[in-house]
Amino acid sequence: MTDTINMLNKILDDTKKVGGVESAVIVSRDGLLITSNFPSSDSTRAETFAAMSATMLGAAETATTELGKGTPDRVIVESEHGKLIATGAGPKALLVVLTKLDAGLGLILVELEKAAEKIKKIL
Amino acid sequence: MIETGIIKLDDYLMGGIPNGKSLIYYTHPGVEGNVFGMQTLYHNLAAGMKCVFVASSSDPTMIIDTFKEFGWNLETYRENLIIVDAYSGLVGATSNEKYIVGDPENIDSLNETIEKVIEELDDKSVIMFESLSTIMDLCGEQKTLDAIKNWNTYGMLYEHVLIYNFTAWPYEPETLEHIKHNLFDAVITIGGIAERVIFGQYFGVLKAEWSDVKLKSMLFRVLRPGGIRIYIPKIVVTGPFDAGKSTFVHALSTRAVSVDRIGTTVALDHGHVDYKGFSADIFGTPGQERFDPIIKMLSGEAMGIFLVVDSTNTKDFVRAKQMLEITKAYGLPLVIIANKQDKSDALKPEEIRKHFNIPDSVKILPAIADKGVGVFEAFESLVNKITEVA
Repeated sequence: MTDTINMLNKILDDTKKVGGVESAVIVSRDGLLITSNFPSSDSTRAETFAAMSATMLGAAETATTELGKGTPDRVIVESEHGKLIATGAGPKALLVVLTKLDAGLGLILVELEKAAEKIKKIL
Repeated sequence: MIETGIIKLDDYLMGGIPNGKSLIYYTHPGVEGNVFGMQTLYHNLAAGMKCVFVASSSDPTMIIDTFKEFGWNLETYRENLIIVDAYSGLVGATSNEKYIVGDPENIDSLNETIEKVIEELDDKSVIMFESLSTIMDLCGEQKTLDAIKNWNTYGMLYEHVLIYNFTAWPYEPETLEHIKHNLFDAVITIGGIAERVIFGQYFGVLKAEWSDVKLKSMLFRVLRPGGIRIYIPKIVVTGPFDAGKSTFVHALSTRAVSVDRIGTTVALDHGHVDYKGFSADIFGTPGQERFDPIIKMLSGEAMGIFLVVDSTNTKDFVRAKQMLEITKAYGLPLVIIANKQDKSDALKPEEIRKHFNIPDSVKILPAIADKGVGVFEAFESLVNKITEVA
């Protein structure tokens, strides 16, 4: 029960150890926050962030599958102060991380994939 | 009768706790259960009651600080608050309290002090034990159980209300069973929940001798400051194009964001409401048919639905009904918002009911979302529906 959350939190904390990752969030496919390592002062922001990320990935999936291109592996958003990467983590959840602007994507993507795989097994 | 001060819990207990009764907040480890006792104590202090706090695991200054985290200032009511210091003796500190337990590891010493306090109280009061589990750890399980029986009898005689905070560490199974079923007049269980993907904390009414309500689980969260809020992770706001869904979400929310282009929502609105002891997240869907896949995706796990309709536009009612299907709203608590009531050609809620063939069990409430009229009435109506005991 609460152990599941502890396991998920551990996975999130591990992703934070990858250089350049600022925070990570696990979101249900339908936009509910499952857990995050946002600073606690931002905790209500995390819920909005969760809802928006789920919509983004959901919209991307609908767009590409409609066009017969299969499901996308991830959505990467590059913005002024950093990057956002959302990736599916099994049928129930997705994993989203925020990175610094200059973060190298290579290692992050590899680690994200590993983390997503673990989340899929837990949930 | 005293109130617990916890929204909804008082309703389930048919008003609160009658004098002379005992209630235990039975918390599973790892959950923020001790806030319940604290909130009940503070609620009654603020209502002008005399209260006793039996401190077993922190000293009086720490206690005052902990209450402050929730925005509760004990010092304002200090003259009505008696702190029984069963902690300082443990660490060899001196204490300024009137009632001090000399040897907190000895149940007789504790017993003696509590009996004395109870006898000396001149009014019906609330007596709250900070941590029954600490007492049990210090004095032993069986001895503590005997002492509780004695305290509850005393409470009954003098018509005080006794509140216990308890964390259910792995004690002897018989001890836990005894606590859950025999020792107290009411048992509120507090635990963690992992229902599909919603993770959170719940409370339930396991028993309450004077009320026949059995409540399995009600989600809550703890705000600092603020205390306990009933938590509703998802309320979906849906309805046809241009019915005023986003306006409704914004009018209701303490804080809201929308993804909109040229005045129409393309992805969703998300808002957070903190109102009268409820904390809810609101998801507003787009209205046009081309967004149906997203609506379907976002409406999972909803606990309640608002269907917003433009009261002037009867053509849209068909689409509105269809959206109930898309959001899988059937069976969920539903409130229909008859929006734009300020327009001259707006249909009254009862006329909409006829057009729509809506059963009487579903409420149709009038609203003018862009002026904020009727939105909170609608919110209260829906959350009451969500939290009512079947």
